Amino acid sequence: MSEQRQKVSITRAKTEDIKSISELVIRLKKLNEEFDPLLKVREDALGRAQEDYRECVENPECVVLVAKKGDKVVGVVKAKTRERVYYQPRIEGAIVDFYVMPEYRRQKLGEQMIAEVISQLKRKGAGIIVAEFPFQNKIASTFYQKLGFRPVIGIFGKPD
Amino acid sequence: MDAPASENQTPSKNPGEKEDWYSLAMRYSKYYAGKVEVIPKVPVSGLRDFSYWYTPGVAAVSMAISKNKELAYELTGKWNTIAIVGDGSRVLGLGNIGGEGALPVLEGKALIFKYLGGVNAIPLPLSTQEPQRIQDTVSALEAGFGGVNLEDIESPKCFEVLHYLQDTMNIPVWHDDQQGTAGVALAALINSLKLTGRKLGDSEVVLFGAGAANIATARLLITAGADPKKIMLVDTKGILEAEREDMDQLMLHHKWKYELALKTNGSRRKGSLEEALIGADVLIAASKPGPGTIKKEWVSKMNRDAIVFAEANPTPEIWPWELKEAGVRIIATGRSDFPNQVNNSLVFPAVFRGALDSRSRGISDTMVVAASTELALCAEEKGLADDYILPTMDEWEAYPRVAARVASKAKEEGLARRGQSYSDYLEQAKEIIANSRRTISSCISSGSISPLPS
Repeated sequence: MSEQRQKVSITRAKTEDIKSISELVIRLKKLNEEFDPLLKVREDALGRAQEDYRECVENPECVVLVAKKGDKVVGVVKAKTRERVYYQPRIEGAIVDFYVMPEYRRQKLGEQMIAEVISQLKRKGAGIIVAEFPFQNKIASTFYQKLGFRPVIGIFGKPD
Repeated sequence: MDAPASENQTPSKNPGEKEDWYSLAMRYSKYYAGKVEVIPKVPVSGLRDFSYWYTPGVAAVSMAISKNKELAYELTGKWNTIAIVGDGSRVLGLGNIGGEGALPVLEGKALIFKYLGGVNAIPLPLSTQEPQRIQDTVSALEAGFGGVNLEDIESPKCFEVLHYLQDTMNIPVWHDDQQGTAGVALAALINSLKLTGRKLGDSEVVLFGAGAANIATARLLITAGADPKKIMLVDTKGILEAEREDMDQLMLHHKWKYELALKTNGSRRKGSLEEALIGADVLIAASKPGPGTIKKEWVSKMNRDAIVFAEANPTPEIWPWELKEAGVRIIATGRSDFPNQVNNSLVFPAVFRGALDSRSRGISDTMVVAASTELALCAEEKGLADDYILPTMDEWEAYPRVAARVASKAKEEGLARRGQSYSDYLEQAKEIIANSRRTISSCISSGSISPLPS
């Protein structure tokens, strides 16, 4: 396991990573779907993920990091800075997608990725870091709380 | 042994004959209205006797036990009484038929427990299928029972329930569809490997079907020394592997399968059973009844001197003669009308005999491995052959031997409340089992058990 950890590196995503990243993002969205039917994944989601990430990799307000073992993408985190119109600090860094392949979990890789993305968001001026995930995802909730996050804003959904 | 209720006891490949077993079971069940009953084991010749068996004298016994609960093992029948608990959510091949539907099976199991293991087993079908209520109900049974045998509870609920109860109770808890099936498969495999000159740790093992039986089998094989990286589990979605698309669903809803997906299949093979069997040494199938579930062409891709257990009931996943034609050397099924019957009944009566004789606080995986190893040895001592890898159910001497080995292991692991030597455990088990069979025989010869109706 430690051997596996040593070989994994965390870097900025490049255009050539987008195909692999999108596959991981679809796994993430399908995991989200398990928590709430309002998060049902669209049929064209893979194509949309590729477009979204292609745009994001170019966008200076966006940070996309990948964890790689050799050439293989085993984790991805996407975050962006955005303005808080009414609150201070004025800039928040929001972690919006975060996924690590099952066999690379429980090795602190996720924590390292979050630490790295936070440091990059801070360099972009973020004074507060937030993380978005489905309300029912207790695993994510526990993970972020261990890192010092606490619930701030909730989004409730109501089906038609 | 012709108890029609044993899950691995399927009478014949001839459907006409199977109907006969069915109709006999219906007729006899109607005649006897229940297979077991409670009868006294102390002399009662008049009402005066109740002054010590019951009140006022019994108060002294109750007081003593209330001061020291362990005395329940000395002064009551707790030491030799277990509960057979089922919710009827997965009974034989019949699916979810509820607690009442499960009762005939639980009664049959109680009969086998008594006949082969000398264990007093009380059938307790439940009127709930909700895991928390099952756990709460079984937990509350600890006061009166020396052990619990869970039966016919569906997967993956059965893993959660067993794990919770093993963790929280101070008596042995066993789920026969998991540990019993895994235990007998391991015993059969140990001898099959000897016959084919293989070592468990070097063998490529494919487990087809990833329900209660094979998930437990995978875990037991690993405990016994199999290399997890050389094990592949195959379910309805194909070969289980760490990158399979449903991994996150498994993480949320079936953590036992998830853990095995992370541990097994080191070569990262993907695909169907057909792909899994290329270069495999062993196939253990506990999937859905055949024939035709497994194809001959797939099996022919296994290594030379292949070993195949096709355990589905009532019909194995593939017929034994098809396996022979495909070049398989050692073949076992769940049926008594073919050689090498892989039957839980070879394991559970003896495991409980041993667990009860040592007054064990639990049944560990290593105790099950000890049971499998001893069972395998019983057959080996008689002379192994391709069509003789396990003792048959009428080889009585195997039961006390397995029991004593289990009890000794419990002692070694610090689980036994009563530590004895192997030979003392063996003598005790022999005596209890012989006594149990004598009691049944004498009830039959005295007429207190009526002969079967003609």
